[in-house]
Amino acid sequence: MKAITANRLLDGDVVFWKAGQWVERFGDAQLFDETAEADLEAAVATGKGQPTVVVDVYPIDLTPSEGHWAPVSYRERIRALGPTNEPTHGKQAEGGDVVEALRHASGAARSTGRVDLIRRK
Amino acid sequence: MYQYDLIDKEFLADRSAEFRGQVARRLAGELTEDQFKPLRLMNGLYLQLHAYMLRVAIPYGSLNAAQARRLAEIARDYDKGYGHFTTRQNIQFNWIKLKDAPEILDKLAEVDLHAIQTSGNCIRNTTSDPYAGATAEEVDDPRVWAEVIRQWSTLHPEFSYLPRKFKIAITASAKDRTAAKVHDIGLLMRQGRDGQLGFEVIVGGGQGRTPYVGPTIKQFLPTDRLLSYLEAVLRVYNRHGRRDNIYKARIKILVAALGAEEFGRQVEQEWAKIDAARADLPAAEYARIRAAFAATPFETLPARSEAFELAKTKDSAFARFVRNNVKAHKQPGYAIVEVSLKAADQTPGDASAHQLEVVADLAERYGFNDLRVTHVQNLVLPHIKLDDLPTVFATLQAAGLATANIDLISDIIACPGLDYCALANARAIPIAQDIARQFADPDRAETIGELKIKISGCINACGHHHVAHIGILGVDKKGEEFYQLSLGGSGAEDAAIGKILGPALPADRVATAVDQLVGAYLNVRADGERFLDTYRRVGLEPFKEAVYAQAD
Repeated sequence: MKAITANRLLDGDVVFWKAGQWVERFGDAQLFDETAEADLEAAVATGKGQPTVVVDVYPIDLTPSEGHWAPVSYRERIRALGPTNEPTHGKQAEGGDVVEALRHASGAARSTGRVDLIRRK
Repeated sequence: MYQYDLIDKEFLADRSAEFRGQVARRLAGELTEDQFKPLRLMNGLYLQLHAYMLRVAIPYGSLNAAQARRLAEIARDYDKGYGHFTTRQNIQFNWIKLKDAPEILDKLAEVDLHAIQTSGNCIRNTTSDPYAGATAEEVDDPRVWAEVIRQWSTLHPEFSYLPRKFKIAITASAKDRTAAKVHDIGLLMRQGRDGQLGFEVIVGGGQGRTPYVGPTIKQFLPTDRLLSYLEAVLRVYNRHGRRDNIYKARIKILVAALGAEEFGRQVEQEWAKIDAARADLPAAEYARIRAAFAATPFETLPARSEAFELAKTKDSAFARFVRNNVKAHKQPGYAIVEVSLKAADQTPGDASAHQLEVVADLAERYGFNDLRVTHVQNLVLPHIKLDDLPTVFATLQAAGLATANIDLISDIIACPGLDYCALANARAIPIAQDIARQFADPDRAETIGELKIKISGCINACGHHHVAHIGILGVDKKGEEFYQLSLGGSGAEDAAIGKILGPALPADRVATAVDQLVGAYLNVRADGERFLDTYRRVGLEPFKEAVYAQAD
């Protein structure tokens, strides 16, 4: 499973793709399974075509956690939550199931999970 | 303190207006991100994990009360109520919005602050001694020369697009509080036999993925030739520094490749071609800058303060604070006060808006309106009367700023790490907090004595792990956060690069490993030996044994 993320140009906030919109909560992100590879690519291309809205658009890998989906990458979980040293800062502040599932997820750090981090020629 | 004149002020206002225009053009789609990124970086604005980060320069770590209050205001109005002091005596705000950045730059400019040259391949903020003008050790006030370098290097047309960033440190004390030997240029001020002042010039130190303690290329550079000599060094670097590989672009790589002697020779050759009358600082300008650092109007006081002595005997917490955070001042009846930003569970180097206002008030009321930032991520009130120390202590204590741990095991340097930084591989802050918790007992910390732990979340080494007594580097090992320990580094006058202890450890093993290292040290230390001294005497083996033998 995959989702698409970016930072919003105006304030730098982490955002996720949802059916043509950029939303702030990871829990609201549109999920793309293996059968939706073409949709994913199309959505990434659309996002990259919105340079006055977002910067740095890329897909991320997800893994199941406590009945929800969580980013595989440690780095992406921190982006989706907020800094771990300030639990009331960032998106994690509002709490809830999805936030807890992200907090408890385990898996890879930054080198995996960001699908196009190592750019292929 | 140096006061900006009308030209400086107009310049900052213009710069801020220029950036406002650039932001507007970016938002309107007239500039692409690739075009805009270098422009925002020239104004200290990075895009990090959760938001934009604004790095504000604190020239040579010196602030007045109005500036500290303005930083507090920015923290409160545009961030989440705090700022983060860095290992380069700067402050970073972690939650900045692009749309607010021009307004913030305006507000900074009103108090003579800015974010120029806090990023990019240019000459960055000069590091200097936070005890400048207060310590009896110094042969001159290094701030005079740091200010000279600031004016010379600001928007220097020849040196705005160097192969890579460039950092200068300057100290005038034998005890180095600037990490001068691991800067691109370290200037150590010396008094020659005839009483003339000059600099020992160290070039090509650095950290990052290729750490070096810089070699000396000139034993004694007369102060009045400083700028022409810096020009010669920068010119040789600008010409021959590698631009093809970002990892080999710093001056340290060039100096190591040529050898210090050959590099020094090329600099001398270049220096001989420079017209000193054009390049060196005119005497009148020197006098004007020096006058800005005129002697602080200290009162004539007895060396002993009864109020201070009485408070020490009555209050053991105050006595502990004095033992660890209060340093000798050159003027009888005064002291240098270190304000630790390393309280238990605090993020190292973070100060809340309220805390910034508290220290600003103290500086204004008791300390000649003078406040300093250290590269160890603490603050300093450089001129406090001994008579006022009990009051100052009580005020700091009420604001959570009286942690008595300067240079002790919980006075840990940590970079923002993966909690904030787009470059990091692993977190640094929670590791620092774990270790501080492990050594929360202040008596035990004092028994252990001076022990400098420094943590970086990636090989770029903003957390100075290479020059730590115990250095900790976060690495990504098969997708998990792991931490590589190194021992025996120092960023001080006895500078050294630490040696890797052994295989990296998982996050939850780091604090225990530090405890094991401390145990090994306490077992074998001789009288008066610091951790670093013991390590230098006994080597890596006993420490390796302590951590890895027990791990099996």
